[in-house]
Parts: sequence; C-alpha cells; structure tokens
Amino acid sequence: MKLKTLIALFAIFTLLAAACGDDDGDDASVDADDMADDGDDMADDGDDMADDGDDMADDGNDMADDGDDMADDGDDMADEPHTDDSVDIAGILAADLDNCADAPSGDPIRVGMAMDFSDVVGFVDIPGSNLVPFVADLANCVGGINGRPVEVRVAEVGDDAALATEELLDWGAHFLIGPPFADFALPILQTTEGQVPLFVAASTEPTLADASINSYLVTFDDHQMSSAAANWALDQGITRAIVFTEGEGVPYTGVNPDAFAAAFIAGGGEVVSTQNYVWFVDTDFSAQVNEIAGISDNTEVVFSAALGYQVTALRGQLEGQGLDGLTYIGTDALDATGIQVEDNNEGIAHTPHTSISPGDPIDSLLAHYEAVNGEALESRGFMALYVDSMFLGIQAMLDCGCDEPAQIGEAVQQISGFQGLSGEITYAGTNGIPPKAVPINRIVNGEDVLVDTRS
Amino acid sequence: MIELLQNLIDGLGRGSIYALLALGVAVVFGVMHLLNFAHGELITISGYAAYAAGQQGWSWYIIAPLIVVCAVVASLVIERVAFSRVRGESDFTLLLTSFGVHFVVSAAFLLYVSASVKTYPRPGWVTNTYSVGPLNIEVFDTVVIVVTIVTLIATTMLLQRTMFGLALRAASADFDTARLMGVKSDSVIRGAFALSGLLAGIAGVFWLMRAGSTTPSAGIDPMLKGVLAALIGGLGSLRGAVLGGFALGLAEVLLRSRLPDSIASLTEGVIFVLIALLFIFRPQGLITVAHAERV
Repeated sequence: MKLKTLIALFAIFTLLAAACGDDDGDDASVDADDMADDGDDMADDGDDMADDGDDMADDGNDMADDGDDMADDGDDMADEPHTDDSVDIAGILAADLDNCADAPSGDPIRVGMAMDFSDVVGFVDIPGSNLVPFVADLANCVGGINGRPVEVRVAEVGDDAALATEELLDWGAHFLIGPPFADFALPILQTTEGQVPLFVAASTEPTLADASINSYLVTFDDHQMSSAAANWALDQGITRAIVFTEGEGVPYTGVNPDAFAAAFIAGGGEVVSTQNYVWFVDTDFSAQVNEIAGISDNTEVVFSAALGYQVTALRGQLEGQGLDGLTYIGTDALDATGIQVEDNNEGIAHTPHTSISPGDPIDSLLAHYEAVNGEALESRGFMALYVDSMFLGIQAMLDCGCDEPAQIGEAVQQISGFQGLSGEITYAGTNGIPPKAVPINRIVNGEDVLVDTRS
Repeated sequence: MIELLQNLIDGLGRGSIYALLALGVAVVFGVMHLLNFAHGELITISGYAAYAAGQQGWSWYIIAPLIVVCAVVASLVIERVAFSRVRGESDFTLLLTSFGVHFVVSAAFLLYVSASVKTYPRPGWVTNTYSVGPLNIEVFDTVVIVVTIVTLIATTMLLQRTMFGLALRAASADFDTARLMGVKSDSVIRGAFALSGLLAGIAGVFWLMRAGSTTPSAGIDPMLKGVLAALIGGLGSLRGAVLGGFALGLAEVLLRSRLPDSIASLTEGVIFVLIALLFIFRPQGLITVAHAERV
C-alpha cells in the first residue's frame, strides 16, 4: 500500500513537472527575460536602487580622477560617442531598473554561456554567469541594442561540454562565452566546428586562442602576463629568481613559470633555483624550503602560478628559515584565490585582469549588482572579462549587421580599439589574443593597489 | 647529511598526519570491510567549520577542538544516513556508497557555500622554527609528531584495555562470530566511525592549520593519502596503517628533495610506481592481515 502511494505520488509529480517545464531547456538554463522580471520585482522593493543608479552615473563622471590606466580606459569608454553601430556600454551600465524604457521588441540577440560550475573554475564561471544576465537586464532596460532585446542562456557544462553547447546552438545562440580551461573549451570548439565565436572569458591559455576557429581570449595570455611580471621584477633591481613550476610546458602552472624565466633571463637576470610543487594541493613546502635555504642570498624574487594560500604558506615557511628579504610575485590565480584577504600577504605582487579602484565602471557595476541582488559577486577582478565578452560579441553583430554566427566571427576578427570594462581590446591582426596591458598589483599596507601597468 | 636529517624530520611530520588518516580508514575497514572514500569529507566539513570560526575571529584554541568535534559528528551522521542503510551489502555496494557520500558532500558545499577558495588565518607559530645544532626544525612538525605519538598510544590503550576495544578487535577479526559472542553490531560500528572521525579530526586540525584554506574538494587529497597509506601498510592492519602513513610521508619528502630537478615534477608518479612495485612483491602490503580482503 505504502509503495503504491509512493509510486502514485511520483507519477503525479512527474506529470506536473512535465506540464510546468520549459520545452527548450533544462533547469540549469536561465533566460534573461526571467531575470529581468526578477530584477523588476526586486526593484520595486525600494528606492535605494534608484539612488544606486544615480550614484553609478556620478561615479562614471568621476572616473577620470582616478589617474590609473584602467580608470582611464573606463573614462575613454564613457566619453566614446555612442552611435548606432557601437555598443553604448556607459549608457547600459547607467540603466535605472526602476525606470526602464519600453521593452525592446526586435529579434533577440542571443548570448550563450557554456559554464563550468565545478570547483575547478566555478569560482569565476558562477559569478560570471550571474553578472552577464544582469547586464543583459540593464541593456534591455535602456531599450535593448538598437531595439533588440538581449537574451542570455546559461548551460552548465557538467561532464559534457558538447551537450551543453548543442543546447545553446539549438536555442540559437549568436555567440558563446566559455569556461577558461581546455578540458571544456575544446569540446565546445569541436561542437561548434569553429563556426560560432567563442570567448573564453577568464582564460590566459594561449593555445585556446585561434581566430581561424573563432576562439578568442578576452585578456592577455600567459606569456604576456608572466613576461610583464619578470620585467617588473627586473625593474625593482632584482637579478636572481626562484621559480616554482609543475613542469615545463604544463598548461598554466608550467607555461607561466617558463615564460617568466625566459623573460627574466633575457632581461639579464638569473634563475638560481627551479622548484616543483603540486598546484592547488601543496601547502607544505618543507623539502623545497630546505633546498632554497642553502642557495638563497635573501634577495631573490619568488615566482609561481600558485594559489593565494599556497604562496602565503610558502612565504611563511621561507621566513621561518630566516629568508625575509624575498619578493613574491604571482599570476592572476592570486587574484582569484583571495590573496587580498590572506594573512602574511604584505608586499606580495600579482597580475590581476582588472585592477579595480573605487568608482571604476566595473566597481560601480558590481555594486549595482549587489544592491539589486543582495549579494556580492566573488572573483571581482575577473568579472569585467565576462561582461566584455558579451559586449564584444554584440559589437561584432553591430559591425557586420548580421545574425549569422560565422559572419559574426569574421567581424570579431576585425575588432580594433574596443573600449571594454577590462581595458582596450583589439583582435584585428592577431590570432585571437588581444595585446592588453598587464596591471601589476601589490599588497601595500594591507591594501591591494595598482603599482604598475605593463604593455 | 644535514639536509637528509632535515628531510627525515619533515617526512616524519608529514607522515604523522598521513598515519592518523590511514588509521581512521583502517578502523572502519576492519569492522565493515569498507574502504571509505568519504573519509576526506570529514576534513572538508571541518575545513568549512574552521572557515566559519575564522570569520568570527575565534582563536585556534577553540577552532582546533571544534574541528575534532565536527569530524566525529560528521562521521557518525554519515554512518547513520548512508552506510547504515547498506550494512550487510556487498563490498562493492559499500564502496560505491562511499563515493556517493564524497560527491554529495562536495557538491553541497559547491552549491550552498561557494566554489571559491575560502581562507582563514593560520596560527602564527605554524611556520616558526627552532635550531638544534645545524638543524632548523619547524615547531609545527614537532607538535604534529608529538600529538600523533600521544594519539597512537591512546588509541592502542583504547583498543587493548577497554571493552569497546576488545569488541572492535573481535569484530575486525570475524564480525559474524563476534556478534554471536554478544558484541552489539550497532555499537561497535558506530564506535568505529566515531573513532575514525576522531582520528580524522586530529589529523584535520594539522592539515587545515597548514593549509589555511578550504574548498569543496579539499577532502580529496587527505582521502587519497589516507587510503594509500592504509593500502601500503596492509589494509585492515592498524599497525600497518601507521607504518604506511610514515612511509608515504617520508617517501614524498625524500623523493621531492632528492630527485634531479629535471624529473622532480614526477615525484607523485614515482611514488605510485613504488607502490605498484610493493604490491607486485607484497600484495598484502607491509603487514599481512589474514582476514582482510583487498578491494
């Protein structure tokens, strides 16, 4: 009797789920229209957000005062005269969700996000896939893009990136935003057969960029990033380096140290020790520290692509051996893993994608998101890359005046001098890696501040 | 020679943590023939407790016992919710259940907490050192080794001199016969999980102290180390688990330090090759356990 009741209940729930479900997608999918409704509901809750919108607009006007390059980029963006063939980013970001224009009614611009929500890259893909639909809401709030609404669908790649990609292509995505690592980006590219533009938003992996198959980085690659770090270290008067690697040529954890060492040696420096470690895992560096203690003269730069807690653990152990004169520099991984909040982080340098200052457009956007949604997004330094990915795809559509993904891809390849939230982006004449400036940030008096920008 | 001695001390420190983890794995395997791949989740759960406590600014004098309590409670809850349902099923079912628990716990933290690394302050003394002649010894290693020795002695006394220990050993030797002799299966199994959680908690204190961070998958590495050490020592043998833990810790430190730079990144691979060679020549592990079954 009990079993029969359970079976009957299960059948009823199944029928209800089938009746209520969306024909097009699964539970992981998020339509921007739904998000827009949510946003409007939330906007009705009070006047605060209207004030936030005003503050954001004010912040936008103040951007020029900040003085650093990143803020200048944002200022250029705000001053850029808006025409029908350029995305009015400043106008979109200043949208007041309490006072939206008439809903756009043209054919939708469809942005597909194939995202990895696992703990491998979920720390960037999860907040990124929350922010992009929010920006689409803002765009729709100001009347869309030339009267066309922006729709965003998020498909979680799970263990089958190809399936998630097929879902997005079946939905009619004009272009895709993908996860940063090759494990997922490559199946996506195999599924699109290179016919649909893919922006691998948070990736610095040089092998993922290939304009011939419509795959684009949105930021600098490992070589630019680590060369910038090496040259910055040399400019500090440091001539000896200790490099931590997972092995020559290993994506990210080996390629970055390789690039750093090459640039450091080319600039007249010497790599006095190369140590191995396990990325993400090692926090006990006893074996390496013993070896370093025997060769260090306490003036070296220590470079790795390690995570924040690994660098501070390593530093603690080296300082325990009396090596307290070393300079530490890491990659964008430090930005993603909370170097800003780690103990024992004073003086550590790193290369974030966006050095965020109060009042920057991305800072204001993130504050706006938090005000509307009630929670702050993590991995702030990466968020501009996701928003830029969407705007780059839309810009290409405006440039070509087309909806055909392959033609959009051709237009992406011609983009030059695009002023995004993360800086200036150019694909023309490249293989899909924009030659962007690399910010060098450092923890000074407990604050994460921009100390240099390297082209 | 000095560096070798230094490496031996570092290896013993690392191996001590592995020994505690392996002992926890071996205790549960002894009574249930369950190779518990969810053992590392006790560290994941404790890690988030440490993070939450760190956010409140609590001292490590409070966080450390909190970690141990969390691990014991989590171990008992996991037994109650998952393993008690499949008790008596095949070893393979138990194995799959432990994988299931691992994935569910990991996914829960991913979904309901964050995919991002969560950091908390480490105690300041973790990286302090003191000198003994030419040797620089980490205070942390010393504390870990001492606490591990005390824990192993206490565990031995528990197993040798208490009724619970007698019941546990009897159940490990032959569970069915032990039941026929009046050993209460529920009590002994829950006791084994509580002891396993306690050992994981003590290991977790040091693991998390050193790491200063946690993620949804933070339990994978301690789980692997614990299971590997238990396998090396001889699955089912408590002495073997301890021996396996120390052997694994020493091997890791010595190989990483002694291998030429050009192949140092193969340290983990070399360790697995050595383990494979060990199993070719001694499939039962370092210590033979007549009643144990290899999974």
